[in-house]
Amino acid sequence: MNGMTQQFPALIIVIPLLAALLTPLLGTLTRRLCHPWLVLIIGCAFCMSLGIAAQVITSGPISYNMGGWEPPWGIAYRIDHLNALMLVLISGTGLLGALYSGPSFAKELPGRQTYASALYLLMITSLMGIVITGDLFNVFVFLEISSLSAYGLIACGSGDAPFATFRYIIMGTIGASCYLLGVGYLYISTGSLNLADLSRLLPQLYHSHVVLTAGALMLVGLSLKMALFPLHAWLPDAYYSAPSTVSATVAPLYTKVAGYLMIRIIYYLFERRFFVEVFPITTILSWAAVVALLIGSIYAIAQKDLKKMLCYSVIAQVGYIVLGIALVNKAGFSSAILTIVSEVCTKSCIFLATGAIIYRLGNSRIDNLRHLFRRMPYTMLAFTIGAFSMVGIPPTSGFFSKLYLLFGCLEAGNWVFIAALLCSTILNVIYFFRVIKVACFEDPQPEYQRQEAYPAIEVEEVPAAMLIPILLAATSIIATGLGSFWIVDNFVKPLLKVVF
Amino acid sequence: MLDFIIAKYNFWIYVVLMMIGLFAMLAKRNLVKKLIGMNIFQTAIILYYVSIGVKKGKVHVPILVGAHGHGEHLFKAADYLNPLPHVLMLTAIVVSIATTGVALAVLILIYRRYNTLNEDEIIELRQAEQEAEV
Amino acid sequence: MKVIILIFVILSGGLLIYGTMDMPAWGDPNSPANTYVSPLYIEEAYSKTETPNIVSAVLADYRGYDTMGETTVIFTAALICALLLRKNSDDDEA
Repeated sequence: MNGMTQQFPALIIVIPLLAALLTPLLGTLTRRLCHPWLVLIIGCAFCMSLGIAAQVITSGPISYNMGGWEPPWGIAYRIDHLNALMLVLISGTGLLGALYSGPSFAKELPGRQTYASALYLLMITSLMGIVITGDLFNVFVFLEISSLSAYGLIACGSGDAPFATFRYIIMGTIGASCYLLGVGYLYISTGSLNLADLSRLLPQLYHSHVVLTAGALMLVGLSLKMALFPLHAWLPDAYYSAPSTVSATVAPLYTKVAGYLMIRIIYYLFERRFFVEVFPITTILSWAAVVALLIGSIYAIAQKDLKKMLCYSVIAQVGYIVLGIALVNKAGFSSAILTIVSEVCTKSCIFLATGAIIYRLGNSRIDNLRHLFRRMPYTMLAFTIGAFSMVGIPPTSGFFSKLYLLFGCLEAGNWVFIAALLCSTILNVIYFFRVIKVACFEDPQPEYQRQEAYPAIEVEEVPAAMLIPILLAATSIIATGLGSFWIVDNFVKPLLKVVF
Repeated sequence: MLDFIIAKYNFWIYVVLMMIGLFAMLAKRNLVKKLIGMNIFQTAIILYYVSIGVKKGKVHVPILVGAHGHGEHLFKAADYLNPLPHVLMLTAIVVSIATTGVALAVLILIYRRYNTLNEDEIIELRQAEQEAEV
Repeated sequence: MKVIILIFVILSGGLLIYGTMDMPAWGDPNSPANTYVSPLYIEEAYSKTETPNIVSAVLADYRGYDTMGETTVIFTAALICALLLRKNSDDDEA
């Protein structure tokens, strides 16, 4: 059994990959088995990621050489606390989405569940592949698998999904190509592709134009992938038209995985001092982030559709993560990681709840949400918890991540950032409480127009397979909020020791 | 000066090619032309990588000469091209083909829905649709 | 609009060319890329993998994991085409 746990880093990728290969085969036999199969496999991956995280916490980073080839010649994993945390988040969100996908795919993609399930599995696997590997080219390969599966799953959505997807393909490919070119620039000046090896070689080359351009290219590529202002235009349409399950996993995970890569590049591939002394691209990034969190919130207020509003709030939240990363101080770094954790839980909860609303109502126009608190009490309770976390009300996880970000801005001594942070919090309050007000307090018809007494309002909760993930996600928001000091102690502090 | 140009022109050509692709992706209004631009863009990167691996002088392609039958044969690195960029680009070529395939599938869906592949016309049709909804 | 894009494209091309200024000369056998990791592949590939074609040796063995990803990319693309283009066949469940 001990030998088995040592192979977890490889198995966590290989098992879901093989399972994805088998899914179409299983689907041709009986389509009904696809959903339990998906839950089983991603459940296995989730357990393995917990095992890896426990191992990392107790005995420090794990090294794993693929096929036994030593780095930098072969591909090597080096799983530290950040990788382990991301793995748990991705497989956990993947598990919630997998549970949810049963009724949701059946309603939105009738007759196509098999392929959609296989692609879903590939999507979660490739995201785990991105965060687990320590080789820059391997990151590119998995980045492309994840993008491709996202294109496919989004394109089968409703309305003008294909057109939104085409824009996403163009922008996503430019992003990935910029990243690949950046890796090529690093390769020509060092000869290595291994992250740990490169971070050892690069400090002597900090003043070379090639390395400078490489850093800029990789960061621009990732900004495109994570839809940082002003490269965000493709995101709202694409996420809006995706099927509910897909938007409930793509929206929490993709931008955050790109954020993870940005942390790796800024703090691990290069050293902090490269950005402080040589190449102040983090300053540009932090201003872009501040604009993003204001613009995203303002656009969100202007929307009349709940799901569209949430898509714009994704853009705003990307601003929080990038601001935390680009502050380049301890509190900022901690806040970036906590924001990733809290955002994954919150966005997953809110998008799952919105998917449930669409499942029942057929659309998500805010005007149609009247009386929803009585019709779908549990869903709306989860939605409210998510909204509290977005705004940053204790004890939800959003509160603690914003608190650290505030400390980071104070440490940087930048009052504009603090003002922007407060401003965007107020905007968050406005757009979420507008929704809650409609859903909770407004009658379907104003009293003076009403001719007869109300028909009794029936409770129309969604099926249990959809409701359970929503409630689990809401619980995880509270749990990560109450446990945020535990996360800081066990995950963030060991990272801070290495980076600062 | 001439030496400098000779040493670098290969990299400049790929930059020019890449920018042609980028321009097509951003400025062309026909979606198929955008896709072709995307292909040019990716091909430029492939050319760049392959040109990293070049060694001038008398070198072989990375297939070992006389490997069979010689038990202990010493191969010198200077005699062969750098194989790693070739390996990486084999993967990148496959990725670019897959992306193109997916994009073409999406284009078919777009054409079925709008009966055109011109971006401006599609945007007009979308706006008309949204107004009809309201 | 096209003019703005053209200016943007020329500027980013300029950035890339700026990056090439410090690059080792094209075909320089002593560039870092040609002297750091890759020589070991050439020297060891045959004794370790029994394959005279070094590209195959690296592709399928040293970096075989990348190649697994590459084949997965093809599989993903095939799945997507099936998902998007196949006619919905609700009745194929026996």
